[in-house]
Amino acid sequence: MVLVNQIVAFLMKHNAEPEAVDLLMEVEDLDLLVEHVDSTNYKRPCLYLKSSARYLPGPDDSLVLGIAYTIYLKFEDLPSALQIALFLDNLQYVKQVFKLCKDLLQKKQFCYILARQGVDFFILDEDMIAEKTDREALQEIINNTKLSEGYLNLARDIEVMEPKLPEDIYKAHLIDNRASAGANVDSARQNLAATFVNAFVNAGFGQDKLMTVPSETSSGGSTGSWLFKNKEHGKASAAASLGMILLWDVDSGLAQIDKYFHSNDNHVIAGALLGVGIVNSGINDDCDPALALLAEYLDKEDSTLRIGAIMGLGLAYAGSQNEEVYRKLSPILEDATIPLDVIAFTAISLGLVYVGSCDEEVAQSIIISLMGRNESEFGDSLTQLLPLGLGLLFLGKQDKVEATLEVSKTFNDKIRTYCEMTLISCAYAGTGNVLKVQNLLGHCSQHLDKGETHQGPAVLGIAMVAMAEELGIEMAIRSLEHLLQYGEQNIRRVVPLALGLLCISNPKVNVMDTLSRLSHDADSEVAMAAIVSLGLIGAGTNNARLAGMLRSLSSYYYKEASLLFCVRIAQGLVHMGKGLLTLAPYHSERFLLSPTALAGIVVLLHTCLDMKSIILGKYHYVLYFLVLAMHPRMLMTIDEDLKPLAVPVRVGQAVDVVGQAGRPKTITGFQTHTTPVLLAAGDRAELATEKYIPLSPILEGFVILKKNPEYREEDH
Amino acid sequence: MPTVTVKWQKELFPAVEIDTSQPPLVFKCQLYDLTGVPPERQKIMVKGGLLKDDADWSTVGVREGQKLMMMGTADEIPKAPEKGTVFMEDLPEEEQVVAVGHTAGLFNLGNTCYMNSTLQCLHSVPELKSALLKYPGRANELDQTSHLLTVATRDLFNELDRNVKPVAPMQFWMVLRKKYPQFGQLSNNGAFMQQDAEECWTQLMYTLSQSLTTPDSRENSEIVKTLFGIDLVSRIHCAESSEESSETESIYALKCHISHEVNHLHEGLKHGLKSDLEKVSPSLGRSAVYLKESRINGLPRYLTVQFVRFFWKRESNQKAKILRKVDYPLELDVFDLCSDELRKKLESPRQILRDEENKKLGLKPSEKKSGSNIEDVKMLDAEGSSSGNGEASTATSIEGALPEKEMQLTGIYDLVAVLTHKGRSADSGHYVAWAKQESGKWIQFDDDNPSAQREEDITKLSGGGDWHMAYICMYKARVV
Repeated sequence: MVLVNQIVAFLMKHNAEPEAVDLLMEVEDLDLLVEHVDSTNYKRPCLYLKSSARYLPGPDDSLVLGIAYTIYLKFEDLPSALQIALFLDNLQYVKQVFKLCKDLLQKKQFCYILARQGVDFFILDEDMIAEKTDREALQEIINNTKLSEGYLNLARDIEVMEPKLPEDIYKAHLIDNRASAGANVDSARQNLAATFVNAFVNAGFGQDKLMTVPSETSSGGSTGSWLFKNKEHGKASAAASLGMILLWDVDSGLAQIDKYFHSNDNHVIAGALLGVGIVNSGINDDCDPALALLAEYLDKEDSTLRIGAIMGLGLAYAGSQNEEVYRKLSPILEDATIPLDVIAFTAISLGLVYVGSCDEEVAQSIIISLMGRNESEFGDSLTQLLPLGLGLLFLGKQDKVEATLEVSKTFNDKIRTYCEMTLISCAYAGTGNVLKVQNLLGHCSQHLDKGETHQGPAVLGIAMVAMAEELGIEMAIRSLEHLLQYGEQNIRRVVPLALGLLCISNPKVNVMDTLSRLSHDADSEVAMAAIVSLGLIGAGTNNARLAGMLRSLSSYYYKEASLLFCVRIAQGLVHMGKGLLTLAPYHSERFLLSPTALAGIVVLLHTCLDMKSIILGKYHYVLYFLVLAMHPRMLMTIDEDLKPLAVPVRVGQAVDVVGQAGRPKTITGFQTHTTPVLLAAGDRAELATEKYIPLSPILEGFVILKKNPEYREEDH
Repeated sequence: MPTVTVKWQKELFPAVEIDTSQPPLVFKCQLYDLTGVPPERQKIMVKGGLLKDDADWSTVGVREGQKLMMMGTADEIPKAPEKGTVFMEDLPEEEQVVAVGHTAGLFNLGNTCYMNSTLQCLHSVPELKSALLKYPGRANELDQTSHLLTVATRDLFNELDRNVKPVAPMQFWMVLRKKYPQFGQLSNNGAFMQQDAEECWTQLMYTLSQSLTTPDSRENSEIVKTLFGIDLVSRIHCAESSEESSETESIYALKCHISHEVNHLHEGLKHGLKSDLEKVSPSLGRSAVYLKESRINGLPRYLTVQFVRFFWKRESNQKAKILRKVDYPLELDVFDLCSDELRKKLESPRQILRDEENKKLGLKPSEKKSGSNIEDVKMLDAEGSSSGNGEASTATSIEGALPEKEMQLTGIYDLVAVLTHKGRSADSGHYVAWAKQESGKWIQFDDDNPSAQREEDITKLSGGGDWHMAYICMYKARVV
């Protein structure tokens, strides 16, 4: 051990930190590292620890990160420590960081980081911030109440405030006149698609040209007229789209949705309920308007109303672990007289609210409900949402799922394997656990002849587990490529969705090509999945190549209503938020995973397993689950008073600098912009001025800048 | 008496007093004064619950300085429009046809694409449809099978108009086989063989020309003939004996002969109207080569042009196909194929048409038109029309003054349907119909799968490769 000490000391002194860390890991005495680092060289070993943790099996990985956390604390690099605390999902650590921090401004930055991660339920207490008014201000940041303001600021700066019509997205004039047939008759399917496209494209902008037409021009109720151009349950989605357009803007959002509560059409009210949920997603208001409004409708007779309210609660309180919501929702699960669709949505909503909490009580409720299903219901794709609700409770929690997994073995054998696959894939989601990927691949290689459906979640599971880091993604894409060639039909149908998850909001050329090929597949289900996935990989990127691809698909499938619907949705996704949004659940340089965001995507993908009966049926509003993953892909710099501050930044492709000697550049091929700027997948930003010091090491989302006291204006 | 802050939309109303001895309705009325939202539309949120009108303030538990949120608008409630929107999915199938913009396809009953494409082309002739509708539906002097075939055609056309989903032309096919047994030919493996679409076209046309005659013996009685018949006048000339004779005939399709010099439909048609024939010359007393030159003497409403793409190849003992590219225009002018007599007749309608077009293009202001005839004459001369100028111009002025009720042919035709063949021989490959709808859109009828096409793509069916190439073209007369 003496020898080890000497070697490590030597290595640390001579810029060979990775070797030192390797040696210590080998002798399993990483604690020693803390003694050997000093304030000049602690960053590199920590970076090395952070990235090597990805490849370590549990529980070693959390151990390694624990060391990194300790080192960061030792050198008071609190923002980095907070990152690790969030990665470990350890609220104790988070509180500790807050307590150690003396600087109020720095704390505000912490709040922004917390808000981005989606821990908006986090309550600051007196230990963390003593002053009451300060605490309220900080709580406001965590509650994300300022998100809408910042987003609109960005939109104004980029000059994309002008609302867009679905036709501006379809760009039908660029394709030949084939698709223009039947322009004089409204098609319910196409109007519904237009509703979604309008909602996605104008998401968060607070104005559009279909739903929020100013009231003075609509004396005859022209806002109502688009709503009523949708059919039955389509009206629910249309009313809810108002929530999407006014996303994050609780005050004016609720005001605009309010009038639909007085409608005498249940579908419209259901949509309004859902809209309230969407507006509140990711936002935490002290008055809890969502709960107040939605709870009223939970015990209505009409199942449309119920689903609207339930799903709204799930969206509004995702990740909050709000006990009130559980108390309101759990009776629904226990009632045997309630229709299956209501139960399924309740399970999903509970899964979202308690995402990654491992809450025993909630798990028990869902398990009991699942056991209470009768034989005939197991074949229904809605029943398969119950295991997903259960799985979400354990999202990313690895072996904590074991107990529930054991219980699931007692289920009816029609759902047993399905449940197992869902639980494993959720529990190991975002961990990059190679063994689990192999296990899932094994399930995919079996030949099924009794019509089992568990291979669907297994394929999705591969993507969910492997999406943790770039190398894993590359490997998973290769494996999926094999499944595509050798797998059976039911697997081929899911592969496009899995690819969509792996590259969400990150249109990689090779994946785009594969999906483009599959979008012309003879099997319409493969084609539909591929088209939706094309939308997912390009979500919020405005990628011109994808847009062109989808345009030509729209003319190729102009006669097939279902496929055309999918193409429209994909077009809406690609232009989501006019290119200001991203669906990627990973943020902070792909280090942190937002569980609610991932949960939202996973729910959507699971409903895509049976596209025909859910999205193309009457539950198309499941598309709104994506709202949980929607987030502005911006860098907004703000000054000490939290006012926007324009500074030059360099934005370029991120370079992996882990373990490299010297001080390599962290970005390549950069361009200099003035904030606020958009960041694409794999982009990294750095300040191009010495005038300010950022309070967060990672320039993403809201970053507070502090004046550099040592800065001197250059003499000219 | 606690005071609270009420948040409504983006506004804040600080220090609103609550009289806890009064029911919450009173508080709501207070807010009504502030916001103008009627109490029944107000929703007040107190920490995760709604404030009820009859609630007790003590149980609600309002703290001093608490922030309440009020939701509600004085806006109009959106009402459903009086008349519900009609969706395409709900329409009965006949009305969907209008929405879809084209009629149904025809199922392939086993190598019957030759028949399907022929039917689709003929189906695009509305006059034929109306003539069929008038068909009495009882056998007169006609033989039974022709009658049945006509009825079957009528029923099938009706069915095509009513449906969006493809139709199976079962009845028609059975009758067709009965009438013309050659279409029932079986191949070695017992399946029906592919047939020549041109043969089907000709036979069907012949049958219809027989059956579709109106009982009254007016001149116009032969509907099919007025629609499709072409009168030819031929001069037969023998080079050796300088004998000359002339004959007239009526045909249903012009032939476009394809030789090495032919690159364009027009050249092929010219070629097709000239032929050599060998016959016994009465003056020479032996067989001699006669040159037959034909000219069009009477034009139909619908001009059918057949590309003679297939010929019997003696070496290989099969019908071979000429793949040569022969361009055809969207607008065909057959003026120079007409006889002098017909040209004279066409002269004036053509002038009218030209004037109209010029007017449309704004080339010729309207006051000029009324100006004088001389200008018209000059124009005509300048354009170098082949025959009579003075007469024509007077005719123009006369007819301009007295517009005739009957539509006049101009010798200019617009392409309305193309029947294409893809493959190497007439008895194999695939036939497809491309027809222009009344909306001006082109639809490709590939058996049961109609799809919209662009006009540019239609002219690309001119051959020269293995793609679909035009076999029969149908042109519609432009009339004035």
